[in-house]
Amino acid sequence: MAPEISNQSLLFLVIFVIVPLALSYFYQLGVSKSVLWSTFRGTVQLFAIGYILTFLFELPASYGIPFMLSVMIIIATFHARQRGKELPYVGYVLFAGLVAIEAGVLGLWLIFDMIQFKPSEVIPMSGMVIGNSMTAMGLALERMKSEFKENNGRLLAALSLGAEPKQASHLIVQKTLHASLIPNVDRLKTIGLVQLPGMMTGLILGGVSPVMAIKYQLVISLSIFSSVSLSSMFITLAMYRYFFNREKQLLQSEEEIRSSRS
Amino acid sequence: MFRFEHVSQQPLEDLNFTIEKKDQVILFGPSGAGKSTLLFLLNRLNDPEKGTIYFKDAPISEHPVTELRKKVGLVLQAPNLFPGTVLDNLKYGPSLFDEWQEEDGRRLLDYVQLPSSYLERNVDQLSGGEKQRVSLARTLANSPDVLLLDEPTSALDYRTAEEIEEVLEGLIQEHELTMVMVTHNLNQARRLGTRGLFVADGKLQEDGTIPEMLENPETERLREFLEQ
Repeated sequence: MAPEISNQSLLFLVIFVIVPLALSYFYQLGVSKSVLWSTFRGTVQLFAIGYILTFLFELPASYGIPFMLSVMIIIATFHARQRGKELPYVGYVLFAGLVAIEAGVLGLWLIFDMIQFKPSEVIPMSGMVIGNSMTAMGLALERMKSEFKENNGRLLAALSLGAEPKQASHLIVQKTLHASLIPNVDRLKTIGLVQLPGMMTGLILGGVSPVMAIKYQLVISLSIFSSVSLSSMFITLAMYRYFFNREKQLLQSEEEIRSSRS
Repeated sequence: MFRFEHVSQQPLEDLNFTIEKKDQVILFGPSGAGKSTLLFLLNRLNDPEKGTIYFKDAPISEHPVTELRKKVGLVLQAPNLFPGTVLDNLKYGPSLFDEWQEEDGRRLLDYVQLPSSYLERNVDQLSGGEKQRVSLARTLANSPDVLLLDEPTSALDYRTAEEIEEVLEGLIQEHELTMVMVTHNLNQARRLGTRGLFVADGKLQEDGTIPEMLENPETERLREFLEQ
């Protein structure tokens, strides 16, 4: 039987909020407001999504799934876009990348019969893939920007020797991809040893046998691993060119990047 | 070789001058006067806001940019070596144009007076002076017609700077290079340059031969600068 937490028990979660609040108060960290706000916002968001999911899960798959996936991808696009707002077309590229990755992953799941085309299976699983891809793309954008800044001299040296922008930024693309893959490789290496992954924990608490939970976890972990790798590669390879103008000159400031393609 | 016609690029305004083949030009002036900006224009790492620069009688923008950059080599103030070995750095430019030959490595190190055993050395193990020599050799690997130098010795100690100067002196004479060098060091200017361009306050203030400019400056602005 699935476990249930009563609303009264849930109220005692207040204790978990009081701890950071107290810390903030005693050490004058000035974060009380944001602790309270984020707790409130998180709670409302989760309850809202709970009711929305209940509603969506009852919808026919044929339009419930496309509707929810579109909403998730659009929100993810806007969120990841914050990390590279000054880059031209970044929103479109992110959107296209997320759609392609979600379509590919979902296609494989369905073809190989790993999950069923039901809102209650597709939406939570896709949410994890889209969410992780969004984070990976945002991080790759940020990393790429800082690598471009840090390696300004090397890029100029490469260009001055006659390198095409693609050749000059090879090192940066390499470093960005490396940095985005490493945490995933590490996570996969220690999976189940340091902490039980969230999805597995959820399934076990829900009464599913640990071996079954692990199967699901494997599907999701490997799907995330590959979609995160693809996301960083896609966004890096699609965006590095916007750090140069058509004359193969390195753009030095955000203003230059913003105005270069307009 | 180069002709500037009404060229403006912050902070420089309305520049008009020519650089002839085999000229050894010293570009000098106070900090922030736009000396590096000028070198960037010659290598087309930047384009001027106004005016036209001609290279070999055609507007610089009409030359394929990567070919131009190969012919007009630039050595930056910091060596900015690529990660890897000295050899990786030396072959970077020629490999872009499929022109690298195995024996080039030794020859290039010889130009900058480093032993050929350095080829396999990782660039992280080099001293500041050695790095700058490798950076110079890396630019020379493209066999440029023009060598642009942006204060190549400013980050080095006096002795190392002098050694690099010696290397440069030999190279320029041997290869009959056209050189444009930015420097703050007037002794270096005397030693390596034949012609001087003095820029200050957004303008080309004086253009003449180096000894003449340093001994008998024509303008008040240059006199002021030399007295500082």
